[in-house]
Amino acid sequence: MNDKRDVETAELSIWFFCGILMLAYGVVLIATGIFEYHNPPPNEILLPWLNALHPTLWWGVVMTVFGGFYTVRFWPRHKLF
Amino acid sequence: MQWTVRLGFRPMQVFAALLMAKGQMTKLAPVDVLILALYFALVVFIGFYAKGKANTSEDFFLAGREMTAWIAGLSFVSANLGSLELMGWAGAAYQYGILATHWYWIGAIPAMLFLGIVMMPFYYISKTHSVPGYLQLRFGEGARGLSAISFGIMTILMSGVNMYAMAVVMQTVLGWNISFSIWVGAATVALYVMLGGLRSAIINEVLQFVLIWAGAAMIPILGLIEAGGWTNLKAQIAVNVGRSDYTHLWSTLGSFKDNPMGVHWTGIVFGLGFVISFGYWTTDFLVVQRVLSANNLRAAKMAPIIGAAFKMAVPFIVIVPGLLALAVLKNPDGSVMHLVPASVAAVTGQHSYDDVLPLMLIRYCGPGLLGLGITALVAGFMSGMAGNVSAFSTVWTYDIYGAFINKKASDKHYVAMGRWSTVIGMLVSVGTAYLVMNANSIMDYVQALFTFFIAPLFGTVILGMLWKRATHAGGFWGLLAGTVSSIGMFIWTHSDPGALRYIALSPDAKPMAENLYRGLWSWLICVGITVIVSMMTAPVPAEQLGGLVYGVTPIPHDGSKTLWQKPIFWAIVVITVFFILNLMLW
Repeated sequence: MNDKRDVETAELSIWFFCGILMLAYGVVLIATGIFEYHNPPPNEILLPWLNALHPTLWWGVVMTVFGGFYTVRFWPRHKLF
Repeated sequence: MQWTVRLGFRPMQVFAALLMAKGQMTKLAPVDVLILALYFALVVFIGFYAKGKANTSEDFFLAGREMTAWIAGLSFVSANLGSLELMGWAGAAYQYGILATHWYWIGAIPAMLFLGIVMMPFYYISKTHSVPGYLQLRFGEGARGLSAISFGIMTILMSGVNMYAMAVVMQTVLGWNISFSIWVGAATVALYVMLGGLRSAIINEVLQFVLIWAGAAMIPILGLIEAGGWTNLKAQIAVNVGRSDYTHLWSTLGSFKDNPMGVHWTGIVFGLGFVISFGYWTTDFLVVQRVLSANNLRAAKMAPIIGAAFKMAVPFIVIVPGLLALAVLKNPDGSVMHLVPASVAAVTGQHSYDDVLPLMLIRYCGPGLLGLGITALVAGFMSGMAGNVSAFSTVWTYDIYGAFINKKASDKHYVAMGRWSTVIGMLVSVGTAYLVMNANSIMDYVQALFTFFIAPLFGTVILGMLWKRATHAGGFWGLLAGTVSSIGMFIWTHSDPGALRYIALSPDAKPMAENLYRGLWSWLICVGITVIVSMMTAPVPAEQLGGLVYGVTPIPHDGSKTLWQKPIFWAIVVITVFFILNLMLW
């Protein structure tokens, strides 16, 4: 029974996959958002009201928080390989 | 494959519009390519990771039956949430207004709850591997063979249609070569499904569900900010369109003439909400397979309920963008942009209805967010292919190869057959994609074929589960009669468009109503023939019906202890929210 539980906890959770991908995307979006802070992309020039909202930066923050939570919460607790 | 596609919904227009588009819409920045590359890398890693857990047939075809309710539920709803569907229904929302929401709400929610509460116990405790497998237990080899062969052929063809759809979208939006998209998509999907089986497909479907929300949610959020909120959006649509019936769900359905879709509430409630929706969500093995992977009876009952709750939210990222486009899309000169049917777009060079989602994505999303949106579309296409090919491999191995060709092979042999059928199925799909590329009209017929089987199959399965007097002969002949009558009605309405007035019972009916009423009639014919033939043949002995039919099967307790654990409680919560939403948008 204990052996079985050990094997199960060593598995990578589906939520871990979701978390790590969202975290990676969040970090990429934050970096892009910071760059775009002073260099607005074409669609923000076309729609000036978007310029003040910084959607890429804020969506990056949301995804980093979401992805970071799931990555930490479902981080594999045992040696994997 | 996708719900709308299986309904035969306007696929030709979607493709014609995309094929006729002038040049590419946008291009990816390096950061967008990075986001797409990260997705592909993770998908392939998941395939290799899941391979180590796909050693037995139970592992490969049913993910070891160890998925939790949340994972099975998200996979259940995600298997249906393809990119072609997202783009098609966003276009439908632009064309028909909020009526398109019916395909997400009444066309899904009641059926999903019914599957969880009423039907899942029988699928689950019979320990069947597939829906044709249940038909074999209940109605014998004839009904199983008929449904397995039709499902197998159609599924693999649909995978090819999905593959071609992805290639066309990538060519239209980004200018990618069609063959490049087909082969990269096919190779990636074949690799991860062949390696990890259903487990790999499910992991990717859950990932895709999260990605679609991450990639598409910015459109309605930023769109509603631009429009000034929901109330202002409705007012602006009424001004731009010149009529106020685009934002009402039910109040315009009293007559075929009073709404832009040309449907009547009877078609929506009985045709869509009952027959077609129940047929798809409760008997299409592509979605039911996801729930069969649940790790216990309670999880199996909860999975469709969780799926229904998420399904109710999908119009936010599909229908709302279509409505927003009616209010905010403008030409460079500041006038309101009018999207047009594909046939008109081909002549005038305007954008067509089905360009709505890419147009809105490009409108609001700069580098980074655009890559996320494109990745979500790619993920949707790939998981659609994976869903089809994994369901095909299961039905082929269990219900065709294992049932009729090689009955006594070892478990290891069947796993190997599952892997090989995945690869061969994918190659057939690639062939289908090229076939469709050279003869677009084939696709309409491939998609229509699904609608032939879905409605009658629901009649056969539901009678099999609820009526112990239904016999083997009744089940087989009912299924055959329902399918043949559906094909007959399809040929009739396509050779004589005037026949629609008889099928839909009104001269004002539009083509959209055809599927709804054809499904209703073919279901009634299936049920009628099943009842008549069953009454004329000897009943099946009660001892053979244990675990298969209500009334002769003790349903085991699902293990829930508190109110919060009971599937019926959550089903009531979901259906209550469903009614409230419908009333709010009446």
